[in-house]
Amino acid sequence: MFEPFTDVVPSFFGWLNQGPLTLTLFLHTIIILPMIWIYFDEKKKLNKK
Amino acid sequence: MANENVSVWTSIPFWRRSAAWVTGFATILLIWLTFDTLGQISMGTDADLKNGVKKRVPAPTVINYHIDYKMDAKRGHEVPVIGEKQLFFGKEWSEKEAAELLHLGKLTSQAKNCMNCHTLLGNGAYYAPDLTKAWLDPAWQKGGPLQAMTGKNTVEEAMAEFLQHPSQYPTHARMMPDLGITAEEAKGLVAFLKHMSSIDTNGFPRNFSKTVEQFKTGGTNAH
Repeated sequence: MFEPFTDVVPSFFGWLNQGPLTLTLFLHTIIILPMIWIYFDEKKKLNKK
Repeated sequence: MANENVSVWTSIPFWRRSAAWVTGFATILLIWLTFDTLGQISMGTDADLKNGVKKRVPAPTVINYHIDYKMDAKRGHEVPVIGEKQLFFGKEWSEKEAAELLHLGKLTSQAKNCMNCHTLLGNGAYYAPDLTKAWLDPAWQKGGPLQAMTGKNTVEEAMAEFLQHPSQYPTHARMMPDLGITAEEAKGLVAFLKHMSSIDTNGFPRNFSKTVEQFKTGGTNAH
């Protein structure tokens, strides 16, 4: 699942793009999880109205 | 009274906040990526070469070394391997000389608009062969057809001769025109190409080996 880091110059982005899965996991963590939080937050607001 | 069935998907604030989050995060990521790239593409020094420190872009004095291209099983593609010292045009170039020669080569490549037909490091056209790893092309090595046609004994002399009189040599279906490249400019261009071949491009252009086999069997890139 996670491959060893093999890039020439160590870099966060090098680690991130070792394979499609690492990138997918990262983008889901950083984009989808906050959107889920925004979703429920908005739902709460709408319900209060 | 709260309405449990209210739809968030039709709520404008939800989409606005999501869009703001994604756009804002992407902006920060891209700015970060820009600065990260600067570190990746900064040129190494002569000391790095002497001490075996690997940089993605080696110092200009890399022209004094033999450059090989070897499959790296771990990374899944070929990587340039800087080997033993090797004379370039019969001499060893000092840091200053090498930097100046490389600079002349870069300026010439721009003045003669190589990218109008060729591709250099992913930029340019595919009307003529990709030059990113041209230095490593077996056709230019000893015994290769391109070196043989020029009657020279080294890769650099063969390439320099060809660059000065390209229209004299039958290479591809689309032959290179004579661009009025002088002997000194040709030397610079060859240094530029040799240095470029030593840059770790994460295996770009892909399937270089396939092209090598193509050349070995007498085929060409241009059809």
